[in-house]
Amino acid sequence: MFKNLITESMSKSPWLFHINAGSCNGCDIELVAVLTPRYDAERLGFKLTGTPRHADVVVVTGPVTKQVLPRVLRAISQVPEPRVIVTMGSCPQSGNVFRGSYSVAGPLSKYVDVDVDIAGCAPKPEAIIDGLALAMKILSEKRAAMNGKVEAKAAPAEEPKEVQAEPAAEAVEEAAPADPPVEEVAAAQEGGEQ
Amino acid sequence: MTIVLDSLRYLAYILIFPGFLFCFLTGMLLCGIDRKLVARMQKRIGPPVLQPFYDFFKLLGKETIVPAAANRVVFLAAPLVGLAAQVVLQLFIPVFSFSAFRGVADVIVVLYLLLIPALSVILGAASSGSPYAGVGLSREMVTILAVELPLVLVLLAVAKTVGNAMGTGLCFSLSQIAEYQAANGSLITRLSMLPAVAAMLLIIPGETGNHPFDAAEAETEICEGMLAEYSGAPLAVYKLSHAVKLLTMTSLFVALFLGGIGGAVEHLLVGLAPAIAGGLAIVIEIIILFLLCIVLVALCCSLVHAVTARLRIEQLFKYYWTVVAGLALISVVLAWYGL
Repeated sequence: MFKNLITESMSKSPWLFHINAGSCNGCDIELVAVLTPRYDAERLGFKLTGTPRHADVVVVTGPVTKQVLPRVLRAISQVPEPRVIVTMGSCPQSGNVFRGSYSVAGPLSKYVDVDVDIAGCAPKPEAIIDGLALAMKILSEKRAAMNGKVEAKAAPAEEPKEVQAEPAAEAVEEAAPADPPVEEVAAAQEGGEQ
Repeated sequence: MTIVLDSLRYLAYILIFPGFLFCFLTGMLLCGIDRKLVARMQKRIGPPVLQPFYDFFKLLGKETIVPAAANRVVFLAAPLVGLAAQVVLQLFIPVFSFSAFRGVADVIVVLYLLLIPALSVILGAASSGSPYAGVGLSREMVTILAVELPLVLVLLAVAKTVGNAMGTGLCFSLSQIAEYQAANGSLITRLSMLPAVAAMLLIIPGETGNHPFDAAEAETEICEGMLAEYSGAPLAVYKLSHAVKLLTMTSLFVALFLGGIGGAVEHLLVGLAPAIAGGLAIVIEIIILFLLCIVLVALCCSLVHAVTARLRIEQLFKYYWTVVAGLALISVVLAWYGL
C-alpha cells in the first residue's frame, strides 16, 4: 500500500536543485521564470531547494567548464537516490558555441547518465515544463525499479553508480545520450536560434 | 476493568483524536491550504491542497544519507523527539470544552513543550557537522529567545485576567481558562486583551518559522540552514513536525482567546439528550476549531508570507522585543489593574 503511495507521490512532488556549470545566466533566468505566476511550475509540485540533499531533480545549465566539473559531480553525488539529472539548454548537451574551447570539459553526458535533455538557447518555458514533466515520470519509474530491488534483497551491490570517475572514451557526437531526450518542442527553436 | 477501559481511552487519545492521526491530517492540510493561499495571493494557480502529503510520502521513499561527520544516533533521533513533543503538546491544548488530559498540565508545561521541537532541530543540526546548519542553529536560538518573551507576557496577561475573575490571583490551567470562557464569553471580546491578541497573532508566524521570520531556514542564503544535511525519512518527519506546529500554535490561540465558542455550542445543543449532545458537541467543536485554524493560518502565515520579505536576524529580534513584547506588556498592565 505504502509503496504505491510513495511511487505515486514521487511523480507529484519533484524538488529541483539547480547547478550553474558556467552558464551565461540565460537558462538560469528562464528556469526561475518558469516558477513565476505566468507558468507557475509549482502547480505540478515543483519547488526550488537550497541544498542537494533535499533534491530529486538536478538541473544543470552551462557548458560544464573544467573548473566547475569536480564540483558538479560532487553536488550530483550528494543527491539521494532516486534522482534524475536534467540538462537545460544546449550548452551542457553539446557545448553549444563554447564547443572545443580549452576551458570546457563538457558535454555532461561524458561523466554522468543524463536522463533528460532540454534543448534550446535558451529553451522556451513550454519546453522546460515539458522536460521537467518527463523528469517526474522518470523519477517515479526509478522509484518503482528500486521497489523491485528492495524486495529481491539478495543483491549486496547497489545499482551502478551514476557518477563515473573517468570520462567515457568515445567522443560524444552532438548530444546523443543513452536516455531518450526531449526535443519535440525545443528542437525547432534550437535550430532557429543558433 | 476500568483500568483497561481508561488505558484504551488514553491510547485512542494519543494515537487518534488529539494525537498522531488528527495532528498528521489537519497539520498537513493546514500546510497545503497555506501554500495554496500564498499562490492565489501571488496570482498563481498553486500546488494542490494535498501537496504536503505528496511531499511527505515522497521523502519517505528517498534514500536517507547520514553525513560522515555526523553523530548518527543524535542525527536520526532528533526529528522523532521533536515530533513526539509536538504531538504531546497538542494533547494538552483543550478543544473548547474537551481536553484529553484535564488538570495534568498547564500553561507552563505548554511553554516548555513548545521549546522541545525547536531544541531538537538545533540538536540535529549541531550533530550534522555542516557549517550551514551551524549558522542556521545560531539564528534559530536567537529566534527562540526573541519569541519566548512576548509569548510569556501574553500567557501572563491571560492568566491574570482569568485569575482575577476566579479570585485565585493567577490561573495557569488551560482547562480552567476554557471553562471560564465557556461561562463568560471569549477573552477576545475584552478591550484589555486586544493588544495581547495582536501580539499572539504576530507570535504565530515567528514560532512556526514562517516567512518574514524564517531567517533560520533561509534557503537562498544558507541552504535551508538547519535542515541542510537532512534527506529522506528524517526530513519528512521535520516537515510533518513543522505542519503540526501550525496546528498547535493556531489551536493554542483559539484556546486562549476564542474559548467562548464552546459555551455557545453547548448552549445550542441544550435540548438534546446528554449522551447525544456530548458527542455532537465534540464533533461540531472540532469542525469549528479546524475552520478557525484555517482562518488564522490565512491571516498570520499566508497573508504575511505573500506581502513581506525576510527580516535579518537582528531586525527580527528587535521587532519581537519592542513591538510585540510592548503590545503584550500593555495587556499585562491592564490585566493587573483588573480591566
